[in-house]
Amino acid sequence: MSEPAGSVRAQGVREPLVRLEGVHKWFGNLHVLKGVDLTMQQRDVVVVIGPSGGGKSTLLRCVSLLEVPTTGQVWFDNQDITDIRADLNEVRTHIGIVFQAYNLFPHMTALRNVTLALEKVLALSNDEAHDRAMDQLARVGMGHKANAYPGQLSGGQQQRVAIARALAMEPKVMLFDEVTSALDPELVGEVLEVMIRLAGDGMTMMVVTHEMGFAREVGTRMLFLDEGRVAEEGEPREMFYHPQSDRLRQFLAKVL
Amino acid sequence: MAVREATSIEPEVAPDVRGPTAPLPATILALGVASLVVIALGVVVSQVNYALSDRVLTQNCLNEQISPEDNGAIGVCNIVEALADPLTTGSLYLGIGLGAVALVLGASTYRRMDNKRRRDQAITGAVLGTQAVLLALAILWFRSATPGLFSKHFLNFADLQGYGGAFVRGARNTLILAFAGEMGGIVIGLVLGILTLSQRRAVRAPARGYINFFRGTPLIWQLVTGYFLLLFGFGIRLSAFVVAIIVFALNTGAYAAEVFRAGIQSIERGQMEAARSLGMSYTQAMRYAIVPQAVRRVIPPLMNEFVILIKDTALVVVLGLTANEYDIFTLAREGQSATFNATFFTVAAIAYLIVTLPLIRLVNAAEKRLRSGLVGIAGAGG
Repeated sequence: MSEPAGSVRAQGVREPLVRLEGVHKWFGNLHVLKGVDLTMQQRDVVVVIGPSGGGKSTLLRCVSLLEVPTTGQVWFDNQDITDIRADLNEVRTHIGIVFQAYNLFPHMTALRNVTLALEKVLALSNDEAHDRAMDQLARVGMGHKANAYPGQLSGGQQQRVAIARALAMEPKVMLFDEVTSALDPELVGEVLEVMIRLAGDGMTMMVVTHEMGFAREVGTRMLFLDEGRVAEEGEPREMFYHPQSDRLRQFLAKVL
Repeated sequence: MAVREATSIEPEVAPDVRGPTAPLPATILALGVASLVVIALGVVVSQVNYALSDRVLTQNCLNEQISPEDNGAIGVCNIVEALADPLTTGSLYLGIGLGAVALVLGASTYRRMDNKRRRDQAITGAVLGTQAVLLALAILWFRSATPGLFSKHFLNFADLQGYGGAFVRGARNTLILAFAGEMGGIVIGLVLGILTLSQRRAVRAPARGYINFFRGTPLIWQLVTGYFLLLFGFGIRLSAFVVAIIVFALNTGAYAAEVFRAGIQSIERGQMEAARSLGMSYTQAMRYAIVPQAVRRVIPPLMNEFVILIKDTALVVVLGLTANEYDIFTLAREGQSATFNATFFTVAAIAYLIVTLPLIRLVNAAEKRLRSGLVGIAGAGG
């Protein structure tokens, strides 16, 4: 990836992997994001919390251009991917997303869910795709269910397969969009466990979540998104124990 | 130990909690059933009785323009005479009486029945009684007009001897027309359906125009115009049979397009997003993720379209088919114009039913299967 002309990389200062500049998003007349700036360094685990309707999911989806910002820029790996000439299919192979509703392909086995894009997008051979998929399924503890269809799996198992599917592309960043919100309470743990291990392995992650414990323990940085703006930003523990704004104080009082 | 095992055995069927019956509801149900049976037996027995007996043309039949020169005149006359027979008359009035009693008793008492079985019996008895009354009245009405004239034209099977093979060939040709048309229509429909889902109006507009045109004009007009458009407009001389298949495909394509569009739209948005987030292009996402799921969902409606097309192939009657290309309906029309006997159309209807009824059953089974999620497309949350 070529560097933009004139950029100087000072020693010890890492280039941000993801950078959002002044991102606004309108849905019709609904102003969902009102000028969000965000940078993510490698190995960052950025946790996004906030009341529903505050724009958390929209922000996450803007990072991979699943939602196109109405105005503002999104930079990924030093490339402006809001530029209409950007090859989004190529960019998206480096950005893994896991959705609230899992979105596994129901007509394919867990294994096929993982190998499909490896073969069709990354053009790996069947054997390579199979091996890589089995590695990732094993990594999320789903190796034994490789040949099961999504309909035969519990929500937690489906979500772990979805994580393996995204990981198999070997993305540079993983986005998690309220991935435990649709799960029965007793299944939340197994998914969080996988995510904690992933963060431990140094994966760059953006996590929209209502799991405050996860946010506090795993997040390296936290955004409090309220009414389309980053109302507060900082180190998670600091924000939990010393919230600066009234809005965050009220929010934490409700969810904790 | 043995006792314990015995008690732990679960009953294999759910217990019947509808409760025992009682004399009154059982009587109502019996009356309802009896009313229908009496009518059916009376009519059928007297028809069979007359059909098996040697009879001559009666004055009654001669009055209804059944002449001795007509082929099959005796058989037609038997139908008329059997309808007028006292056995028929008696069974009709008896059926009306029984049915009316079942209706009145059932309707007035079902609310007071104190368990499910009794209430079900009272209601069913009343319903069957009503059906018997309506059926008997319809037969009486039919009998009071000119049943002879009708039977002479539609129930005179004498002229159909030797047409068995022709009807089998007709059924085969009907199926060829419908099947080839449906296959072509599915291909056209899939392409059009995807085009109508485009973000771009420039892509959508022609597809929509095509669909609206073929849905908005009569198929019979499309057949005739298509034939002459090819012949005079483009100088292409094709047999009417082939032209018909082409027009059926074009027409079915418009309907199948709507089916595919709805099928694709019924796939959750998240499926497309998941595919795109893995770096697949729109085309790849459609091909591997969306369309395979949509296809399963559109099988029942497409089969339904096929059944409709089987019946619509009758419209080829307006094109000049050669004798070995005759479909069921054209064959019937030809037979009718050769003999002035419309019973060919009665047999045609039976032939269509023989083809369509199994398909209709298949569609219903497929829909049921799809609803119960047995096809494996139930999706997340299973």
